[in-house]
Amino acid sequence: MAGMSTEQLVAFVRQIFPRLDQLSYYDLLGVPSGSDQAAVRTAFYRLAADLHPDRHHTLADRALREQLEMIYARLCEGYQVLTKPDKRAAYERALNQGKKRLTTTDRDSRALQNPEDSIKHPEARKFFRLGMISLGRKDWKGAVMSFNFARSYEPSSALIAQKLSEAQAALGKPGGAGSTPPKTP
Amino acid sequence: MAVVGIDLGTTNSVVATVRDGQVVVVPNSQEGYLHPSVVSFSPDGLKYFSVDAVARRILDPKNTVYSGKRLIGLPFRSEEVQKAIGRLPYELREGNNEQAVFIGPDRTYTIPEISGLLLGYLRQCAEMFLSDSVSAAVITVPANFNDSQRRATVDAGRIAGLDVLRVLNEPTAAALAYGLGQNMSQRIAVYDFGGGTFDVTILQVENDVFEVLATGGDTFLGGDDMDSALLNILAELFNAEHGIDPRTDQAARSRLLIAAEQVKRHLSDFPEARGDLKNIAVGSSGEPLALRFQIARSVFETAIRGLVSRTIQTCQDVLTSAQLAPSQIDEVIMVGGTTRVPMVRAEVEKYFGRPPRTDLNPDEVVAWGAAIQAENLANAGESLPSRAVLLDVTPRALGIAVTGGFAERIIDRNAPVPVEQTRIFSTSADNQTSVRIQVCQGESRRFEENVPLGELELADLQPARRGEVSIEVTFKVDTNGILRVRARDGVTGAVREAAVNVRGAMSDSEVEEAAERQRYEEASNLPEVPQE
Repeated sequence: MAGMSTEQLVAFVRQIFPRLDQLSYYDLLGVPSGSDQAAVRTAFYRLAADLHPDRHHTLADRALREQLEMIYARLCEGYQVLTKPDKRAAYERALNQGKKRLTTTDRDSRALQNPEDSIKHPEARKFFRLGMISLGRKDWKGAVMSFNFARSYEPSSALIAQKLSEAQAALGKPGGAGSTPPKTP
Repeated sequence: MAVVGIDLGTTNSVVATVRDGQVVVVPNSQEGYLHPSVVSFSPDGLKYFSVDAVARRILDPKNTVYSGKRLIGLPFRSEEVQKAIGRLPYELREGNNEQAVFIGPDRTYTIPEISGLLLGYLRQCAEMFLSDSVSAAVITVPANFNDSQRRATVDAGRIAGLDVLRVLNEPTAAALAYGLGQNMSQRIAVYDFGGGTFDVTILQVENDVFEVLATGGDTFLGGDDMDSALLNILAELFNAEHGIDPRTDQAARSRLLIAAEQVKRHLSDFPEARGDLKNIAVGSSGEPLALRFQIARSVFETAIRGLVSRTIQTCQDVLTSAQLAPSQIDEVIMVGGTTRVPMVRAEVEKYFGRPPRTDLNPDEVVAWGAAIQAENLANAGESLPSRAVLLDVTPRALGIAVTGGFAERIIDRNAPVPVEQTRIFSTSADNQTSVRIQVCQGESRRFEENVPLGELELADLQPARRGEVSIEVTFKVDTNGILRVRARDGVTGAVREAAVNVRGAMSDSEVEEAAERQRYEEASNLPEVPQE
């Protein structure tokens, strides 16, 4: 393989990047939809030899380099999906629904942990929440007060202790002690 | 300005570079090419490195750090660190951010600082040998090193004043050194049996593109275990002759262990080893006790058969996970000093049905590959004879904790890197003010059964009913296998990025400070001229 010249690379990125979300994995890899795993791999390897970020990490044009990396990451994604039978089957279904990319973003969203769950006492929780709101408003004095109340209800909570010390540290900083809470509308 | 490849090993390290199109290995200050991975601190403030520090493992075991690779990037309370502590004579404690820190005579040292000292020494060795400054390096790591271990290795390089061009997987480096896969498609098994660890990796290579298909290993299995097996044989002989078990005395044990290692090396080349060890222990009336011995290779082989079988079992497991049979492997590459043991070679040949490649020095082959890749990266964009591209994968699945104690996967195991994936999550309580995003690696559905990597918090959420707040979590793994996590509050539309607080890692500012300190110390301690 001769390898790509910088001009060819620039032309490639200009052509592909604006259309990245409209291209299927097959389009990107340049293989027909019935291709077997070996054909997908050969196509990916050929592209990787030219497009791998290691080849271009010295490119001066940073924006171009970032666009190239996004194209390359999408190629990796396509390679992975098309060479894993279960993922490929899921991708075929997605393609039929007009999607070009197999993503998990549209699945039922799950709930993240609430840090407050570790606090058991309801009053401690209430003051902790007030303290967090004060922290958000940069009202360090109010936060220290609320966290101190919270701690009086549940002295064993590591989370309350941690937030209290954060608020105390902010209060102790130059400019922190004298600052007044911003007015809320 | 030169670039180097560094195989930063558990027991020994090797530094190599490409000069005039040829790989050259940087010699140590004695006669070899292996730089023992040892740093020793003396109470008067001096530091000893590598070959100059080895003897201090016996003289001053409390202040002599080795096997740092077993500890790097792991939290103090992790199973691996706790297991290593049981075997190490120097003292480790828990420091900032759950890090394991070494208690030195003057102050505490984090593990990346210790490795950074060693890397700084290796850089200086290379600079003296090449008569050139060395500013950048490719450093190799085991294929199964996780995100935090890779990150900590990069930190160690930064502390040593090195621009780490790439963290490269050791088996990939070995395959690169052999120059395989040019103009053909091959499947390669890299069998790496070192001093303290064993691993095996299956690579697919085609037209200079290298892809890791599967990897596995045993982090507590190596040539050291063979030394221990021989130590037991010698101790039994001694006990039979003198009625004293030398293993109960630390000094006697150390002497026998050194002898055991020499016997092992001898038995790789000869069918029998004989010796006369003087002053092993002291008898009841103060007389020195010696041991005259004669050990046949077959006796040694009986003692290590179980160890070798474990490596073959691991090969079997890794091939199974890649859905391959031993006959589907086109080449087997031997890496690590322990592959010099004839029984190891024989068993590997028997299992794969073909003689393994041993034409490159198994101790140096990883550093060779690292040097080649360092040269490739330093000259990216130019036409080079070797245009190898290394396709690495994530060694473990990566995910985050969700309610109910579950782990939600964001990036799959063995996903080619770079990779970026986004998932959308919500809150679990009304008016929740913040969310905690705990990051883990592993394949289990239960969060606690995976390895926690770190966490970040997204605060200042707008008051809303539970489930109404959407939070986008984006995982991005770069070509070094290093993870970056971004959390975005989907309600306010405000992009808030937060750095993951990696458990057991140094903070950026700590790394900068350590790098500054090491620069200063190096500048004020110019290498001494050896005195006759």
